[in-house]
Amino acid sequence: MTVLARLREVGVVRKGNRSDRVLVCAILFLSALGLLMIYSATRSTGTFSMERQMIFVAAGLIVYAVFTNIDYREYRGIIPMIAAVIMILLLVVFLFEPVSDSGVGRAQRWIPLGFFNLQPSEFAKVAVILALAGLLAPSNRDEVPQRSPTWKKVGLAVLVVAVPATLIYRQPDLGTSLVFVFILLVLLFAAGATWRQMLTLIGVGVIGVVIVLRFGLLSDYQTDRLMCLVDPAVDPQDLCYQLAQSKRAIGSGQLFGKGLFQEDTLTHFEYVPEQQTDFIFTAVGEQFGLLGGLVVLTVFAVIVWRLLVIGANSRDRFGALIAVGTAAMIMFHVFVNIGMTVGIMPVTGLPLPFLSQGGSFYIAMALALGIANSVWLLRTPVPSENQLL
Amino acid sequence: MRFSVRLSVVGVVFVTMFGVVGLRLWFIQVAEGPAIAQAASEQTWIQQSIAAPRGNIFDRNGTPLATSRVVPAVVVDRTFVQPEQRDGLLDHLSTLLSVDRATLEEMYEEAGVNGKFLVTTVSTELAHRVNESLDVLPGVEVAKVPERIYLTGPTLAHVMGHLGLPDAADLEADPDIDPSVRIGKLGVEKSYEEYLRGTPGQLEYRVRLGEIIATRPSVDPVQGSSLNLTIDLDLQELVEMALAEGIDLSNRVKEADRAAGEEVFHETERGAIVVLDAQNFEVLAAASYPNFDPQLFVAGIDTTTFAELNDAQAFNNLTTNGLYPPASTFKAITYTVIEEEDLPFPTEIEGIDAANRQVHCDGVLELPTLADGSPQEKFDWYNPGDLGWLGIHEALELSCNIFFWSAALGTYQAYRAPHPNETVIQDWSTELGYGSPTGIDLSSEAAGIIPTRELFEEWAAYQIENPDEPPRLDPSRLEIASPWLGGDLMDFAIGQGAFTATPMQVAVSYAALVNGGRVMEPRVVREIVSPDGVVTPVQAPVRHTVAISPETTRSLLADLGRVVASGTASKAFADFGPGLDNVGGKTGTGQSTATRDNHAWFVGVAPLDDPKYVVVVLIDEGGSGGRIAAPVGRHILQYIMGNEPTPIEAGEDAD
Repeated sequence: MTVLARLREVGVVRKGNRSDRVLVCAILFLSALGLLMIYSATRSTGTFSMERQMIFVAAGLIVYAVFTNIDYREYRGIIPMIAAVIMILLLVVFLFEPVSDSGVGRAQRWIPLGFFNLQPSEFAKVAVILALAGLLAPSNRDEVPQRSPTWKKVGLAVLVVAVPATLIYRQPDLGTSLVFVFILLVLLFAAGATWRQMLTLIGVGVIGVVIVLRFGLLSDYQTDRLMCLVDPAVDPQDLCYQLAQSKRAIGSGQLFGKGLFQEDTLTHFEYVPEQQTDFIFTAVGEQFGLLGGLVVLTVFAVIVWRLLVIGANSRDRFGALIAVGTAAMIMFHVFVNIGMTVGIMPVTGLPLPFLSQGGSFYIAMALALGIANSVWLLRTPVPSENQLL
Repeated sequence: MRFSVRLSVVGVVFVTMFGVVGLRLWFIQVAEGPAIAQAASEQTWIQQSIAAPRGNIFDRNGTPLATSRVVPAVVVDRTFVQPEQRDGLLDHLSTLLSVDRATLEEMYEEAGVNGKFLVTTVSTELAHRVNESLDVLPGVEVAKVPERIYLTGPTLAHVMGHLGLPDAADLEADPDIDPSVRIGKLGVEKSYEEYLRGTPGQLEYRVRLGEIIATRPSVDPVQGSSLNLTIDLDLQELVEMALAEGIDLSNRVKEADRAAGEEVFHETERGAIVVLDAQNFEVLAAASYPNFDPQLFVAGIDTTTFAELNDAQAFNNLTTNGLYPPASTFKAITYTVIEEEDLPFPTEIEGIDAANRQVHCDGVLELPTLADGSPQEKFDWYNPGDLGWLGIHEALELSCNIFFWSAALGTYQAYRAPHPNETVIQDWSTELGYGSPTGIDLSSEAAGIIPTRELFEEWAAYQIENPDEPPRLDPSRLEIASPWLGGDLMDFAIGQGAFTATPMQVAVSYAALVNGGRVMEPRVVREIVSPDGVVTPVQAPVRHTVAISPETTRSLLADLGRVVASGTASKAFADFGPGLDNVGGKTGTGQSTATRDNHAWFVGVAPLDDPKYVVVVLIDEGGSGGRIAAPVGRHILQYIMGNEPTPIEAGEDAD
């Protein structure tokens, strides 16, 4: 009942406010490009992969529209419930035997639902953003409004991130765990953490990394992937092969690319393993060159910029932090994913938002942006839209 | 800090991150782009090496002995194998092709990403079965590859040799060779490998969805050069048959001997025959038994078969690697040295007429105490009969040991070191090809041993220093002034003692003796014919010419004729047929150790008026040369001289 009431309220508040059309256009552009790239990378098997992704895009856009129209403030009260559901789903993942897809025991990251594999870790990203925003935004219970979060809140925030991050790390999925850490740092900073708090956290993080490396807590393939970055000659045949092929595909695109669906491409010959998922950017880089790559980067920059603008214009700090967290999430994916394809980041299995093939991921991204858009719709109405700064 | 300022800081960090990625993109797409693009373009082309068929091998009359045929082979192209399909594929192939899983895995890893490798050649039937299972065998294809085919089976096996995969040493010696393509490992397949191998072709193509969508101009493989051998296949077949019959005869005789209560140690199992052209040193036939079928190696021999054949010494080419005391066949050399060097005979021994070079061949040679105080020795010649006083001609005819012993004893006594003539007989032997490889164009060859004082002293010194190793000399020899005794030279003069030689060396020495002293390196290949038809003759190199007077040669040929007409081989040659007066030979019975039967030798020469053929027959532990080897030699000489060869039956039991 309250939801319906709120929906009516949205209608009222919306008067004069419009959806962020730049944001929508950027999403539509990237999704369309993604479908094209998926098709170019999987043409040998027909249009199957692309059609499947079209269903996810459609579902994602519906999710986006629905969550645009739900008052984001509704979530603040049910954060514990959302957290509980995500935690259960993350635990359920472990009930399924890791699917061996290359002989070695590999990651189990999803719950097979027959028609679709649900990947709870993708939705956990959104949940963590909501939880952190709820925790760090001043609420009515805070008796004395403070400029900086208390140490207790910082500690809680670390806990909010650490629990799911650890579970996901155990899947194992190092990349997704790192997304949480990045979101945490950005949100703490945005929420007014002091330099001491930030430096303490970063210090703890550095010590943690040292411990992980020193005591070999990384699995072999994770270390090997790191080694590929340091010295690709170590094992160019196997683990580093993917990385080498990826760099070769992108590099050979040169300034203007080889053109869409050209014969003389590694994309056409399917020489880049996992190209339609984690390595989708290689299809862009090879076929459209530096120019195409920069266009994609620019569109991502526009999305991130719009999210920061939404954050700056939010009617409350909760909404602002949701938008900033979403921006951080997108930013980190773009940086790590494209960085991986060009050989400056290790291969961690983080997909590229809106472009990579994958249902859970696409829908989770659409969900996050839908919520951010709802923040935008419910922003304090002002006569002329105040931009960032 | 205000919220908006904090957002600005976040914005600046984000812009920096975009900037880093953008810069890196610029770096690999623009700065390094052209080089990367070049590499990427090459990568989509798959280079495949097309194996060249090996050159054909023909006998001297153009009869094909080995060619190549095209056979199906299972090839795996890793380009089409997804990492997760690897294990399943290897399991499948291992079962289907009966190839060891670990071996298969090794091949797979060695091929590398996008690499291609040949698993094995397969029968047509198995090729069909593989073709039917292609949908569960990603990356597998059935290709056509050239394969060696030997048309004559085990005939001429040791000359032809066999193939095998290159080992580490081969690959190091020639880094260009393809480790998956078999190369020659024995015989002419090995010694003429560089000619036979040919030049692999190159095919470049692009594959998508399992279909070749583009090809680049390819280089066709060029078949290796052909070899025309010096071997006459018809003669070779007759020789191999005769060798088998000789071994059979030896066993039949042994059975009779054993029944008669005589001591027999082993079954006869091995033998070798060489037919050499005495003028140009072309090998007309070369047989070694036991043999093997080279075809077994073409697709890889199984370990059990290999072990069985190896245990039977089937891969040992006895013509060039079998070392035996040449025994009485060597008397022809001593004969020549006596004539050419006028060797001194002992003057003070009963039964030796030094002035007339006559010796009383009564079976026993008794020596007075030697000058250096060595023990008195008595040499027994087993022939119980008294042959009377013999000159050099009868001595060769009847193979009288005492005559040749006497010459050696005289030499030993007259030419003690430091006299330069001490090694006169050994020097002649060296010149005639003993004690070192003949230089034949086959893959490996034994050198043999020519015993000398120097060698014996070396052995003695080694024996004193290494008392634990098996002794070569009798321990009593180590206690006297020099381990080299007169008896050693006497043994040497009749081809016994520590002296060893291969049948090929014996053939070479006889060829030189009868052709006027010309020593050449034997050849089994006459001509190399390049794929475009250019014929390169293979000349047997002349090593040197030993000065032998025509009188000595004439005399020797006449006496070799006496051997078959009325001497030790006369019984074996009784039914030779017309032209018996134009063939000659020498028998030999080699003693090796106390627990082995005698080795039977016969060396034939024909025709005597213009010597062209030297036939050497050796039956390992075959028994008496006159009894076992001479009939085999006669059979072959009959064929060579145009007579109908008569059955191989036991000849006279003689040295």
